[in-house]
Amino acid sequence: MSANIGGPAGGVAPMAGATGEAASRPLVEVDDLKVWFPITEGLIRERRVGDVRAVDGVTFQLARGETLGLVGESGCGKSTTGRAIIRLYKPTSGRIVFDGVDLASAEGKDLRAMRRKMQMIFQDPYASLNPRMTAGGIIAEPMDVHGIGTKAERRERIRELLATVGLNPDFADRYPHEFSGGQRQRIGVARALAVNPDLIVADEPISALDVSIQAQIINLLERLQGQFNLTYLFIAHDLSVVRHISDRIAVMYLGRIVELAPSRELNMEPLHPYAVALLSAVPVPNPKIEHRRRRIILKGDVPSPVNPPTGCHFHTRCWLRERLGNPERCAREIPVLRELATAHEVSCHFAEEVAGSREQLQATGRGEAPMGPTPVPGPIDPSLLVASPYVTKEPDQDPGLAELALPGELHPHGEPKLPDNP
Amino acid sequence: MPLLEVRDLVVRFRTHEGTIHAVNGISFDLEPGERLGLVGESGCGKSVTNLAILRLLPKPAGRIEGGSVRFDGMDLVSLPESEMRDLRGKEIAMIFQDPMTSLNPVLTIEEQMVETIRAHRGVTMAEARTRALELLEMVGIPQPEKRLKAFPHQFSGGMRQRVMIAMALSLEPKLMIADEPTTALDVTIQAQVLELLQRLTSEAGTALILITHDLGVVAGMTSRINVMYAGFIVETAATEAVFERPSHPYTVGLLHSIPHVGGEDAELIPIEGVPPDQRHAPSGCPFAPRCAWRVEACWREMPSLAPVAGEPVGRVVTSGPETTHQAACHNPPTPEEAAGGQPLRPGFVPAPPPGSDPVAGTPGAPGMSAAAQREGGQ
Repeated sequence: MSANIGGPAGGVAPMAGATGEAASRPLVEVDDLKVWFPITEGLIRERRVGDVRAVDGVTFQLARGETLGLVGESGCGKSTTGRAIIRLYKPTSGRIVFDGVDLASAEGKDLRAMRRKMQMIFQDPYASLNPRMTAGGIIAEPMDVHGIGTKAERRERIRELLATVGLNPDFADRYPHEFSGGQRQRIGVARALAVNPDLIVADEPISALDVSIQAQIINLLERLQGQFNLTYLFIAHDLSVVRHISDRIAVMYLGRIVELAPSRELNMEPLHPYAVALLSAVPVPNPKIEHRRRRIILKGDVPSPVNPPTGCHFHTRCWLRERLGNPERCAREIPVLRELATAHEVSCHFAEEVAGSREQLQATGRGEAPMGPTPVPGPIDPSLLVASPYVTKEPDQDPGLAELALPGELHPHGEPKLPDNP
Repeated sequence: MPLLEVRDLVVRFRTHEGTIHAVNGISFDLEPGERLGLVGESGCGKSVTNLAILRLLPKPAGRIEGGSVRFDGMDLVSLPESEMRDLRGKEIAMIFQDPMTSLNPVLTIEEQMVETIRAHRGVTMAEARTRALELLEMVGIPQPEKRLKAFPHQFSGGMRQRVMIAMALSLEPKLMIADEPTTALDVTIQAQVLELLQRLTSEAGTALILITHDLGVVAGMTSRINVMYAGFIVETAATEAVFERPSHPYTVGLLHSIPHVGGEDAELIPIEGVPPDQRHAPSGCPFAPRCAWRVEACWREMPSLAPVAGEPVGRVVTSGPETTHQAACHNPPTPEEAAGGQPLRPGFVPAPPPGSDPVAGTPGAPGMSAAAQREGGQ
């Protein structure tokens, strides 16, 4: 399970003391991280009867200045991973090397000093701000904790931070209830920035916001990243947002990373059966593509992380395994992350079968209409991409679809032209 | 004749903090078997509209203050409560976002399903139980015999929602209202539930009103969309037309707020500002303060829905596949502007609010960078 997952930089840097390599060394290296929560029974004498294996051997690296998206469904361990990295949870085993220091075993003063370099943005801007504190007080709290600046300096810094996140600096004395959801999330961002961190773990930072406000926060996060050279671990269940903001994406299932790839590649060529299913399930805001796509409907629910399936955790619901005649290997042997293309790693024994499959093409919106002719695998011809999606129905003259080419299309998506079906 | 005919519906809530203008005179039709999406953000009135149709507005604050709702020839606004109760479930079914709150936690699934079936159908216990078994099987719940004896908390969120859909459709209603049915679910479970909803409603020819904020969900599930903002329908058209030729600045803004397929790296263009405070009676277009296309008239007068450019003049069709594409806008974006997400006319400046300094332009907070303003900050 300890396959080395490198970013573009690759390679494991030595632990502490490698001062010269600070720039090329990844900011965070997570190695075989496990976070298990004990399940106990009995009132007086507690007995440990099992574990919730929330994170069950996760390995990845975060390069300085990059955004890694961590996606998966509820219970897959993505939030636990994020929280363990900033040591809100103590890992059961494994290493988290942050800037040369192993956080997994750090305690007390050392840990507190490291915490200044990493901050978190939470999902719910209503629950993550203390209603009894003013916006200014909330933003100043990390500075108080770490003893940064004098009172006057802090006050100046609060005004500066509010302006940075797009709020009026005069709002420092207002209370959270006086702000809208989007504004509250901006306060959460300002709080995270207060101590000049290197890493920000954003745990579903926009899920609680309305669509039109989500874009505001995403653009804000992107601008701040450029401005302060921030590294993001962006945790979300919404693949469409993750693929917009991330350089690389890691897909998790039941406590393990099943696929890790550059954002674009994961979306165009997912190679793990679960990643394909996940991608196919995401509704696309384009009726034409939607009507052409066919979803992979996974059977049942995610198994319990208390007693996860043997071998590959996904084998009980895997469409590919079913097609291959349920090979024993999936239930017996834990697949390791293997690099199938540059920086594209997959933990599936049969990932090669996914490439070019009908499921992969349909999930990525490249497949043909379900009742159309047999799909042609392979990359999309770029000349087809400029075909305008504007189509109007003119029932009086034309029984088919009359195409109306207009300059500047709304969705410059890769949409192969289809032969008209009778 | 349409199955459902909503005319000039006005819903207000009288609260201690004043009157909330939740729905401000909306009209729409629905054909039998048609699938309509109601899209908008929180507070736009999409849920309230449907609670009003079912007369389930929270009492005593919420009330229908005007307009009419005709369903299958009946006037639902004036129907006696006893008849309304018969109608709910049997003629119009509704499923909600959180199925846990719609199921009774202290009764088994069997007790609840049997009770529902018997309440509307004069059948025996045994017949009702057989039907319940069939329904669980139909929605793909494994070991239905065993599962009937389970309590709601023993079901996962996706299973609960499937049970709700099965119960709702077991009475063969003419109309199903689904209010954010999959918002609480994971995306692969959402795919299961949407597939089920689509299959069952099309098999039975049930009309569907799908309320959601997710443009992806309506794209695949509906044939027609009403876009709502602050209690108004601002755009209505066939689903494909809304995505291909969005004609209201709010719709354009929504579509540019989400990353789109193949264009993941393109910069998002957010809608500036926040939705209006609905404690104030609407004056002018409610979207004007956030709109990049606003002209002077937008501050004064709410435009009514009118066919967009390129639609055939004359008869306006309000339901079915030939629906006329309509938008409520004084200065609708051109197709090129809709594609670009911003006004492209040379020298065009959004009209400043009345009474402000006309040269000041958009009021921004002091000390705020231009970039922050583009992100739509306070």
